[in-house]
Amino acid sequence: MSANGTDEKHAAGDDPSETTDGSGSPEATEAVETPGTETDAGSTAVAAAPDPENTVWRGPAAWIVPALTAILGLVAVWGAVTIEAPPNVTPPGPGAFPGAVGVLLLIAAVCMSVVNLRNLGSGKGASPLAWFEGRPVLLVLAGLVVHTALLEFVGWLLAGALLFWVVAYAFGARAHLRDAIVALSMSAAVQVGFSLGLGLNLPGGFLELVL
Amino acid sequence: MDTLINLMDGLAAALTPQNLVWAFLGVLLGTAVGVLPGMGSAMAVALLLPVTFRLDPTSAFILFAGVYYGGMFGGATTSILLNTPGQASSIATTYEGHKMALKGRAAQALGTAVIGSFVASIIGTLVVALFAPVMVEFALNFGPGEYFALTVFSFVAVAAVVSGSVLRGVTSLLIGLAIGMVGIDAQSGTARFDFGAASLMDGIDIVIVTVGLLALGEVLYIAARGKSAPNFAAIRTGRPWLGRKDLRRSWKPWLRGTALGSAFGPIPGSGAEIPTFLSLGMERKLAERRERRTGEKSEFGEGAIEGVAGPESANNSSAAGTMVPLLGLGLPTSATAAIMLAAFQQYGLQPGPVLFERNADLVWTLLASLLIGSVMLLVINLPFAPLWAKLLKLPKPYLYAGITLFSVLAVYAINTSVTHLVMLLAIAVLGLVMRTFGVPVAPALIGVVLGPIAETEFRRALAASSGDPSILVSSGISVGLYALVLVAAVLPLIAYLRRRRATARATADVKEPAERP
Repeated sequence: MSANGTDEKHAAGDDPSETTDGSGSPEATEAVETPGTETDAGSTAVAAAPDPENTVWRGPAAWIVPALTAILGLVAVWGAVTIEAPPNVTPPGPGAFPGAVGVLLLIAAVCMSVVNLRNLGSGKGASPLAWFEGRPVLLVLAGLVVHTALLEFVGWLLAGALLFWVVAYAFGARAHLRDAIVALSMSAAVQVGFSLGLGLNLPGGFLELVL
Repeated sequence: MDTLINLMDGLAAALTPQNLVWAFLGVLLGTAVGVLPGMGSAMAVALLLPVTFRLDPTSAFILFAGVYYGGMFGGATTSILLNTPGQASSIATTYEGHKMALKGRAAQALGTAVIGSFVASIIGTLVVALFAPVMVEFALNFGPGEYFALTVFSFVAVAAVVSGSVLRGVTSLLIGLAIGMVGIDAQSGTARFDFGAASLMDGIDIVIVTVGLLALGEVLYIAARGKSAPNFAAIRTGRPWLGRKDLRRSWKPWLRGTALGSAFGPIPGSGAEIPTFLSLGMERKLAERRERRTGEKSEFGEGAIEGVAGPESANNSSAAGTMVPLLGLGLPTSATAAIMLAAFQQYGLQPGPVLFERNADLVWTLLASLLIGSVMLLVINLPFAPLWAKLLKLPKPYLYAGITLFSVLAVYAINTSVTHLVMLLAIAVLGLVMRTFGVPVAPALIGVVLGPIAETEFRRALAASSGDPSILVSSGISVGLYALVLVAAVLPLIAYLRRRRATARATADVKEPAERP
């Protein structure tokens, strides 16, 4: 890492209010943005790792977070308006706080949209999803869904082992037999440790009936 | 002088070989549970509560003290090594601690954390013992208006930990506040945002949010990163002991962190995370000032040891500080304290002013056992810090599979409910989206924890004054806190404007950075 890059990173990092979007002229934004990306590229430990917190959003994916924020804001405001407060409640009722948070969420969504539109003209930034690999994520999520669905039927031992195996597979483990043995022993160790040592009963599933 | 004698009596009562074994076991179990990502000291104490049914109160409290401190240190270990803090109070440690680990200084980070924790808990316990009556009086002065000012202050302090865009940080905070609104409104009993589901009436448990956003969100994020993910195999654990330079840079942050933690710990509702973030921010500013004055480079942003030493001490001394309202008022101010309150009640003891009179010996034994627990922490974890650091040598697929397994376990263990696992999935996906788009997750966690407190105190204050908002600024304490809020908000703005001018000058001049000393 060059001394140059490090110094500038500090200059850029020492002020929490400093923003890569939000307020400020495009020039100031650029002055902040460049050192950050430069340091990241030069860092050896995390080779070529993108730093999402300092990435300026670009492309269609840039609208995902503003959209989600706006939806959340609308839900909050809708909830605040439709809330059924008991008649004897004192003035700032149960709807006041959700309403305030909802309006602030909508304002945040608008601000992020404005930043997006402004970046559209300046042509900088990167697609936030450039490095995103969907397959392992879907595998892990599938493993979690299956685990949740099966836990109380097949018991912790098998459901836990399956979850361990699937996640290990998603992260690139390919020694299937060894993975399975590790998965089963982890799951068994947890079940035994928690049941005997801590008195927490994990579901035994159908194995409980067999044994 | 009385208190010292009492404390000595407590020590004498607690220092039996048998109790030392309990302390040892407690620290070991606490650390073991604490190093599991997503599980902190609260979880460790909760899981061990049934085990202590068969012990006498003294042994049980010594076990708890060991578990408490062990769990806190375990949380620091995962923050440093895996970037997955087990509890809100170790979030601040992740920023510099994990960067130190990535630079091959994991053992030094762990070393400064364990010594800092030791120093802080010894001093913190002594402070509690000596100033308990005074601090109780101070804490009693807080009305709803002051509590609300305190939460506003913490929201602003969040800005200090956001490294990138403030807008994204604020969005994250708001998302956290929104999550915290789910469930029955404590003031009016109205169900809010339950979408017709009975399981949402109780709200979304903080453990689910923590595990989902931090642990499982991280697993999904690393999975999405694929080849561009950080490579732990490259991390060397390095020399196990702190060098002279590390010590020289650590001892002042230890003391400053301890002071902050002791000051905030007894204030109900402030929790351990506020002093940790304040300490992190303060050490960062001090390092920058030192850089300007003496030219010694600030390492903040790439693994500064001060950024581990300060927050970790603050964390532990505030843990000791939470004993003040717990013992003095019967008011638990953290999740762990809430579980310890349950433990007290299990022995038929009701913490509060009466406890100091009726079971004074037990109170002093508990304080003494905190001392014993911190000594044990040092004895067990300083030599083994490099061993915990070896955790990173595990094959990556197994490491993340293990984290996933324990995340699911931690959430399932709350109430053995599959519904909680469904919530966990949803929160984990939210965590993945936030990480992917660079929306920091820490502010969201703070929002979830403090949002309900802020709302309750705000409405309680207005109810007390029958709608007159002037109650919010009616006392010196709240006015002082709002003044601090203004300072915290305005100072960075001034610094930003100054830098902007400097940059503008520099670009107008030659293309050369103007801030270089």
